[in-house]
Amino acid sequence: MKKRYFGWLLAVLLAGLTLSQQGPFQQRVNQAIQSGGSRFAEAMKQDPDQALCSIHRDRLPPELAGAFLERQRALIKYPANGKLMGDWKQGEALFTDPRKGNCYACHTGDPKEAGAGLLGPGLVGYGQRGISEPVVKYTYDKIYNAWATMPCSLMYRAGVHGILTPEESAHVTAFLLEPASPVNARR
Amino acid sequence: MRTDRSLITGFLLALAFGLGIALTQQQEVDPFKEAQRQRELFRQTAGILPGELYAAQGEELFAQKRGPRNASLEACDFGLGPGKLEGAHAQLPRYFADTRRVEDLETRIASCMVRLQGFKLAEIKREDIKALSAFVASKSSEMPLRVVPRTSQEIAMYNLGRELWFHRAGNRDMNCSICHDAYAGSRVRLSPVRSPRQGLSNEWPAYRFEADKLYTLQDRIAFCYVSIGIAAPEFYSEPYIALSVYMLAEATRGRNSLTEMPGFTR
Repeated sequence: MKKRYFGWLLAVLLAGLTLSQQGPFQQRVNQAIQSGGSRFAEAMKQDPDQALCSIHRDRLPPELAGAFLERQRALIKYPANGKLMGDWKQGEALFTDPRKGNCYACHTGDPKEAGAGLLGPGLVGYGQRGISEPVVKYTYDKIYNAWATMPCSLMYRAGVHGILTPEESAHVTAFLLEPASPVNARR
Repeated sequence: MRTDRSLITGFLLALAFGLGIALTQQQEVDPFKEAQRQRELFRQTAGILPGELYAAQGEELFAQKRGPRNASLEACDFGLGPGKLEGAHAQLPRYFADTRRVEDLETRIASCMVRLQGFKLAEIKREDIKALSAFVASKSSEMPLRVVPRTSQEIAMYNLGRELWFHRAGNRDMNCSICHDAYAGSRVRLSPVRSPRQGLSNEWPAYRFEADKLYTLQDRIAFCYVSIGIAAPEFYSEPYIALSVYMLAEATRGRNSLTEMPGFTR
C-alpha cells in the first residue's frame, strides 16, 4: 500500500518536472536572446499571452480564444470619474505623438494628416457611429486593450502597458467620436 | 585618405539640396519613386552616390595592411575562397568551419579582422565594418540571392530566426511577422512593408537618405527593434544572424535578387 503511494507521488513529481522544464529548442532560443545582451533579453521577456500568440503564430485556435479574451478584458481599467469620452483636443495630440498612441503609423484619422499608414482600418469619419454608450465603451476598450476584442491582433495594448492612462484613453476616444473632432469634419 | 575632398563637398551640397526639397515637400509621395528621385539628384549634383563613397572607403581599408599583425583583409574567405568577393554577399550568411559559426557579412568581416589582422573584437570600429560591408557587398550588385541553409548549423540558425520572427514582446506587443507577413504590401506611415518572400532585406547595406547614413542589415534590424520599443541586441550577436538567415533564405525562395549594392533607400 505504502509502496503504491510512493510510486504515484514519484510519477506526479516527474510529470511536473517535465512540464515545467523548457524543451531543448526553447532553451536554445533563450540562449540566442541572451547573446544579444541583457537589455535586449530583458525587453524580449514575454507575458503569458504574448507567448501564447507567438506559439500559435498570431492565429489563436478558437478553443483558446474565449479564455484569452476574458483574461484581457479583466485588464481594462476605467477613469476614476467614469467618463469614457474625454477632451478630443488632448486626444488628438496623444493620437499623433509617436511616443504615445502613434496611431497614424497604421490608421488614417484627421484627413489632413499626410502620409498616414494603411495597416489598420481607416478612421476618417469614425464618429458616424454616434456616441451611444455601447459605441463609446467599445471604442474605449479597443484603445485601452485591443487584445480584449481581437486576440493577438497587430494593435498593441496601449492601456495595459501604461502607454495611455485611462484618462488619456478617454481623450483618444473623444478624438474619434466627438462630432467637433477633425476626424468627423464634414467633407 | 585618398578620397577626393571635392567629392565630399559635392556630397554635402547635394545633401543640403536634397534635404531642402524633402522638407518643403508636403503632398503624398510614392516612396519608391521618391527614392529614385533622391538618387538621381545625387547622381546629377555630386556625380556619385553616398553608398559608393562608403564602398570606396571600404576598398581602401580592405587592401591596407592594418592591425597588430600588419595584414590586409585580402586573404579573408567569405565562402567562395580567400579574397573571392564576386557574388560573396549573395550567399551570406553561411557556416564557416574556421570559426565554427554561422556568420553574416558583418560578423565575417569582424572575425577576419580578429583572425587575420589581430584586432580585438571590442576595439573594431563600427564605421570600419560599415565601409567594408559596403565594399564587399558592391561586388554582388543585383545578383540573385543564394542563401539556402544546408549544414545542420545553418538549418538551426534558420529555425532560431523563424522563432524570433514570431516572438511577440515589448510594450508595443510586436513581432516581425504581424506587420511583415500579415500586412505585406501595405505601409507604416510612408514606409512600404514587404514580406521576406517578397525580398525583404535584399537592399542592405544601403544609404538611407532620410537618416543620411549607411545602414547595414544589422543596423536596419536594430532600428526595427528600437522602433517597436525593444532595446536592440548587441552587434554581431546571434539574433541578427538568425534573423538574417531566416529573411534571406525566404527571399531566396521567393527568387529575389540583391538590389544595386550598396542600396539606396529611404
